[in-house]
Amino acid sequence: MELMAFMEAMGTSGIPIIAAFFIGLMTAISPCPLATNITAIAYASKRIDNSRHTLLVGFLYTLGRMFTYVAIASLIVWVGISTQAISLFLQQYGEKILGPLLIIVGIILLGLIKFNFSQKNDRLGSLKEKLAHKGFLGAFLLGVIFALAFCPFSAVLFFGMLIPLAIQAGDGFVIPAVFAFATGLPVILFSFLLVKSVNKVGTIMNKVQTFELWMRRVVSIVFIVVGAYYTLNKTLGMW
Amino acid sequence: MKHYLLLFLLGLVLLLAGCVNVNQSSENSSSVNLSNSTINSSICGVSNNCNVSSVSNINKVEVIHFHGTNQCYSCKTVGAYAEETVNTYFADEVKSGKIIFKHINAELSENRDLAVKYGVTSASLWLGTYSNDGKFSAEQNTNVWYKIDNKTGYMNYLKGIIEQKLAGN
Repeated sequence: MELMAFMEAMGTSGIPIIAAFFIGLMTAISPCPLATNITAIAYASKRIDNSRHTLLVGFLYTLGRMFTYVAIASLIVWVGISTQAISLFLQQYGEKILGPLLIIVGIILLGLIKFNFSQKNDRLGSLKEKLAHKGFLGAFLLGVIFALAFCPFSAVLFFGMLIPLAIQAGDGFVIPAVFAFATGLPVILFSFLLVKSVNKVGTIMNKVQTFELWMRRVVSIVFIVVGAYYTLNKTLGMW
Repeated sequence: MKHYLLLFLLGLVLLLAGCVNVNQSSENSSSVNLSNSTINSSICGVSNNCNVSSVSNINKVEVIHFHGTNQCYSCKTVGAYAEETVNTYFADEVKSGKIIFKHINAELSENRDLAVKYGVTSASLWLGTYSNDGKFSAEQNTNVWYKIDNKTGYMNYLKGIIEQKLAGN
């Protein structure tokens, strides 16, 4: 059976959860989400010394995506807000903001701009910092923001296929959550594999720290490149 | 730490902007009276077995490819194959006006009413059926998206769907 025929059979399955999962997988490999997912994989792989950490970051990124998709689906299914209005708004502004945002984040991660922190004594502040340092908060927020950036094709999959499914089932939570999990699944898998293999090479060469420094630089560059992709895509309409 | 804060703030702004628009949209939706029709037509799109048996006497069928200004590769392909299907298999119906094919940029203000009438939410292929007694029903077809890597399969599939519409099924 051909891959697309299989995806169609699964994506139009009579069992909504299975359909949602496969529509999510389709989304994960479509151009725009793929670009954001590559960025997320890079982000999750920042700390190459700890593959458990990478898995957690991958899960939090997926949780962030889940938050956004469930929020939108619930607003449509349970609050009754017009799909058309939300969809057109997000397609119009979502990705326009994303490109420049990624470039800025990339520049900050690269260390070209440095900030001084003055609230280190504050308990809540230090907890937040701890979370942020581990990349958990950042991963969640990346998921939230990336999911908001709808490109034409991901909008087709979400608003054209998933939302009608959720409306039909009257479910604004489980169906979008399963969909979100599938969109983030490649991030969890690939970042885990990447960290495992890079860490192994680093250990063999006894250069884990050097590898980590380079990993951080690569991550920053990935952010900038993906940011440029979004900016150019929106301007030139290449995809 | 600061860049996380920056991320958070920007995320918040995005979300808030979304919420503001959502509120505006909900107000607008009542004026254009599309909520139910949009939902119904979308549901038909997923199952592809939308019941239009009430429309037995078909006056014309509109095949419309809605798209944005910035089109993705798949979006262009869905539209191009649909146009080719109509021109290849339904040339006589196109001439007689029984079938109308259009590419419509839903982002342009002059097309807004049509996009609202159909309940368009993204790039999409719609089949609008007008009966002789003036009834209109619209159905989005989402299956075509899975067939863009198989042109023959796509065209044969859509041909069958259009034939069903013409027959009032």
